[in-house]
Amino acid sequence: MNAFEMKHVNQTFGTGSAEVQVLHDVNFSAQPGTLSLIMGPSGSGKSTFLTIAGGLLTPTSGTVTVNGTDYHDRSKKERDALRLDEIGFILQTYHLLPYLTVADQLKLVTKVKPTGNLEPEALKQVLATLGIQDLLHKYPGELSGGQQQRVAIARALYPDPAIILADEPTAALDGERVKVVAQLLKTLAVQHQKAVVVVTHDARLVEAADQLYHMQDGVLTKAS
Amino acid sequence: MFLALKELKKEKLRSGLMIAMIVLISYLIFILTSLALGLARENTAAINQWGAQRIALNSTANTDLRQSFLTQQQVGKLSQKEALIGETSVVAKASGHKQLSATFIGLKSHQFIAQNLKLAGGRPVRHAYEVVADDSLKRAGYHLNSQLKLNDTAQKFTIVGFTKNAKLNISPIIYGQLTTWQSLRNMVNGPVGSAIVSKDSHYKTTQKGVKVYSKQQVINKLPGYTAQNMTFMLMIGFLMVISLIIIAVFLYILTMQKLPNYAVLRVQGIPSKVLVGATISQSVLLVLSGLAIGALLTAITAIIMPAAVPMAFDLTILGAVGVGLLIMALLGGLIPVRSVLNVDPISVIGG
Repeated sequence: MNAFEMKHVNQTFGTGSAEVQVLHDVNFSAQPGTLSLIMGPSGSGKSTFLTIAGGLLTPTSGTVTVNGTDYHDRSKKERDALRLDEIGFILQTYHLLPYLTVADQLKLVTKVKPTGNLEPEALKQVLATLGIQDLLHKYPGELSGGQQQRVAIARALYPDPAIILADEPTAALDGERVKVVAQLLKTLAVQHQKAVVVVTHDARLVEAADQLYHMQDGVLTKAS
Repeated sequence: MFLALKELKKEKLRSGLMIAMIVLISYLIFILTSLALGLARENTAAINQWGAQRIALNSTANTDLRQSFLTQQQVGKLSQKEALIGETSVVAKASGHKQLSATFIGLKSHQFIAQNLKLAGGRPVRHAYEVVADDSLKRAGYHLNSQLKLNDTAQKFTIVGFTKNAKLNISPIIYGQLTTWQSLRNMVNGPVGSAIVSKDSHYKTTQKGVKVYSKQQVINKLPGYTAQNMTFMLMIGFLMVISLIIIAVFLYILTMQKLPNYAVLRVQGIPSKVLVGATISQSVLLVLSGLAIGALLTAITAIIMPAAVPMAFDLTILGAVGVGLLIMALLGGLIPVRSVLNVDPISVIGG
């Protein structure tokens, strides 16, 4: 079964002469154990794709299903719960809460979702892979941009989601760290059977991808 | 609460400044309330101590004790629940002492006010030229057996006792006999008193030219009493509203700064109620901390304040003021809550 599926999704903003169609008949599916990469220039519709995929925006037409259930069948509250339980978002703008240490950023997740998160050993491994295991008592203001990005990745992975949606996850990272994050995403997909969907400009991630898509003017095409 | 506590811990200076402002406001409100209460008590202490429920005055006296005169016919026969009093302003003079403005209250020794007068020292009045004075006269240097003159009387009066809380319209009371009141007012053959004070809440009289008022009606007509209380109420009310605005503005600014962070948390599925709870908890924690310190400062002030300052500290009233401030803080905290509820998670996607 597909972990995540979009069928004939169209998205239009504005009305009348100001109407802009951002997505055109998008069909997409992601299976557990795969890393899908969606590449495209700015303004091609990648962010809108991600917004709809995360259930934050209802498409003008078409269906979006997560683990077999259509978003349409869920209330706003249920979509929040779904994102918390099933979808890990890794965002380009990580905006960590400035008054929480790295450990507290993770503790906040535990406060809201006490069970079903990564076991301590697995979390330790993720933190070590990201190279932030020694930063647990630091505040975001004491970290570099790259370190904050990695903390944001850890925060997204900690609830142990089935699907990971990443928006430019390597934007603030140097070459070496890009490789590490690409490897981590690949590992999550293959070893932990997650469906990983990455929206990016970063061609350095292509090597890790199982499926490669291009987005151009709202049209999604699968690369050969 | 988790987020609120963590933020207070990390942002010590910012939280400290906000708490400091709430401390100053709450301290000012507590002190003003105590002052208002103290002054109100000094206006009405004697009337309350008498246990008065109803007060009969001359119907043309405009509910003013000072302007009321009752004849023997108007007073009629009184039960044990009524007492006749004569009230007049006097200036007490004695060698070696400053002149002191006071209120002379003439009583009949067999009636309930004189009978129930609690003495802090000395004995009750037995003769015409004896008086029992409010114990504030002690602070003015008088003591038992001190002699003083009232107005321009040739005769000297001896202080035979002191009593506490004997204040009317902030003026200390000197209790004496009703006949003394008549001579002080030069009305030996005229009116026999100023008012009939009754302990009976159903007291009525059919005497012509006499009108019965409730205790509160008479108190409200004491010179300056209502205006003074209204002024204090207005000041306290304004301070409450100012505290609401300060808390609301501070929390609004703090919340606005956090909206991008909150948007990310919303994307990750953190429910709005967690973020709203953090905002409200933060306002409650800030105000409770400020109130606690404000209350401590008020307690210290109460200890070191000289007795001459008319302040009264009533825990129930101060507690109610504290609860009022807390409610204002909650209302102030609700304004930024709207922004938290309207945070758009989509705004943080796409960089």
